Amino acid sequence: MKNALNTRQLVSRLALFLALSVSTSYAESVRYDAEPGSKVKIEGTSTVHDWTVEGQIIGGFMEVDSSFKLDPGLKSITVNPKVQAAVPVRSLKSGKKRMDEVMREAMKEKTHAKIDYQLLSLKVKEAPTTSGGPTSLDAIGTLTIAGVTKTNFMPVIMEMSGKSLKVTGKTKLKMTDFGIKPPAPELAMGLIKTGDDITISFEWLTTPAAVK
Amino acid sequence: MNIPESKEFDRRQFLKGGSLAALMALMGGVELTFAQEKKEAEAAKATDEDESDSINFGVIGLGVWGKEIISTLGRLKGAQITMICDKYPASLKRAGNMLPKAKQVADYKQILDDKEIQAVIIATPTHLHKEIVLAALQAGKHVYCEAPLANTVEDSRAIALAARANPKSYFQAGLQNRSDPQRAFLIQFIRAGAMGRNIKARTQWHKKTSWRFTSPNPDREQELNWRLQPEVSAGLMGETAIHHLDAATWFLNAKPRSVVGFGSLIQWTDGRSVHDTVQTMLEFPGSVRLNSEVCLANSFDADYEIYYGTDSAIMVRDNKAWMFKEVDSPLLGWEVYARKDTFFSETGIALMANATKQIAHGNVGPGGTNLFTPLYYALEAFVHNVGEVSSGVEDFTSTFVNADTKALADHVAKIVKLPAAGYKEGYEATLIALKANEAVNKGSRIEINKELFSL
Repeated sequence: MKNALNTRQLVSRLALFLALSVSTSYAESVRYDAEPGSKVKIEGTSTVHDWTVEGQIIGGFMEVDSSFKLDPGLKSITVNPKVQAAVPVRSLKSGKKRMDEVMREAMKEKTHAKIDYQLLSLKVKEAPTTSGGPTSLDAIGTLTIAGVTKTNFMPVIMEMSGKSLKVTGKTKLKMTDFGIKPPAPELAMGLIKTGDDITISFEWLTTPAAVK
Repeated sequence: MNIPESKEFDRRQFLKGGSLAALMALMGGVELTFAQEKKEAEAAKATDEDESDSINFGVIGLGVWGKEIISTLGRLKGAQITMICDKYPASLKRAGNMLPKAKQVADYKQILDDKEIQAVIIATPTHLHKEIVLAALQAGKHVYCEAPLANTVEDSRAIALAARANPKSYFQAGLQNRSDPQRAFLIQFIRAGAMGRNIKARTQWHKKTSWRFTSPNPDREQELNWRLQPEVSAGLMGETAIHHLDAATWFLNAKPRSVVGFGSLIQWTDGRSVHDTVQTMLEFPGSVRLNSEVCLANSFDADYEIYYGTDSAIMVRDNKAWMFKEVDSPLLGWEVYARKDTFFSETGIALMANATKQIAHGNVGPGGTNLFTPLYYALEAFVHNVGEVSSGVEDFTSTFVNADTKALADHVAKIVKLPAAGYKEGYEATLIALKANEAVNKGSRIEINKELFSL
């Protein structure tokens, strides 16, 4: 009984210590939360015509070192920020009901409702000429679609847009890499086969989180 | 709710193509009946539907039109009617026979309290709409409110403002023409200038019918005949011509500035004071006028709309439309190959949306008539749009926890929806119809100030 209490005390002290150290590290970072107004677009091909689906929602956050600024020096950017982004699959729309259904089914939306991205590392490719101006970076992260996670290399541009930090990027993928069989739905026009290659492009807006 | 149960009169019957059967009989065609259509749709529903994805609906007001809504909504994929409501037990029971699984309630608040119900359809007498719509929006339900929205401009405005203030709830007004693909096709055609410049328009709705329902119970009879009570009735212009007025302002792409009206009571002198024949003239900018009439004393030529332009006239009748060209109008090209029908000494060029596609999809019956009614398309749009708005709002609010109502409203506005009348169209059509009714009742000219249209 005594031992158990001691263990509990130990655990609670450890937890307190951890909480303090975490809060200290939080104090040193700035958090940007996703804000409305983002855009995401997936472009693909088919035997009939090219297709596009678009979405308006990119959630997630970016945690960067407090010294992070989009100034020409950009020293702080080497301190790898923590970035997580997510797009609800059902928020992607083609403008055609049937095609949306086909896409949701192919992307296994019922079990994998979101496309997730997590940043692993970020490197400055080209520093901005003006403070807050567009900065080219190379991002390495993991991309999870339909439950399959793959490492992704993607050039991105970060820039200040008013108070918001805007990230734009574009990456080419193969559906089959994520275990997705390119849909070939039987529609009124006959058999349509979609191509394996797709391009995802996005414009992600984040805003400094309210100080708590 | 006190909805008429007799089938004698249906204020929106003119939208359902009443003369279709007669036309087909004349042409020797086989009319594709409701039963056949229903069977096919039900078979499709049974195979395709995944109940877990369905939206749960409550229908409030089970008169003639409420039952029509139930039978149409019941055939749509993705919709489950789980509750029905009417305060009159016999109406509730009759509708219940159509939907044995639906829970029957006498108080609409029970529907609003049910967390499983996502959307409600309100088909009660017009003057009862406001209270129910406001409570439904308050309860977070998506709302389909029949037209007219209300029997007063104030109530109609209150409904529209509440709908605007609640972007999480999708609101649709029961102006079903706005969802009809045939109308959407005509609009493109008219906007492209095929009529030349607008000259005038004319709409009529003729049917010999008393507009009165009978019941052995005097109190019930009083309730049933709310349309004949001048203190709550929106009159023939409000209850019947509203769909024509809405279509005309949409097609003419303008709002009337004033309306002159006349009403008479000639045939149905049974103690009522609500007119049985009304004639109105609505004035639009540019000296364009719309003559809209409703008559319950003579049925000749039923109901239709005609839009007159400098190059051609377009007649809209049931789910169909024809163009009558002037000899000096420019050749469009395609009309050479289009189907033509003769009306006395005039030749009408049939105008039909996606004619070949519709035929390929089996949506077209003999005579080129679209098999689905405007109500079908309106409810299809409602079911689809409720689904889109629900999931869009859910994704938005779970992603952006701190976003304000305006950001949400902006997001909802960007969601691609099937075409349908929203609160704005509902309010504007109701305003025009009520002003027309006022002009008829006063027998005078009523100005419709521009400011009245803004919400």
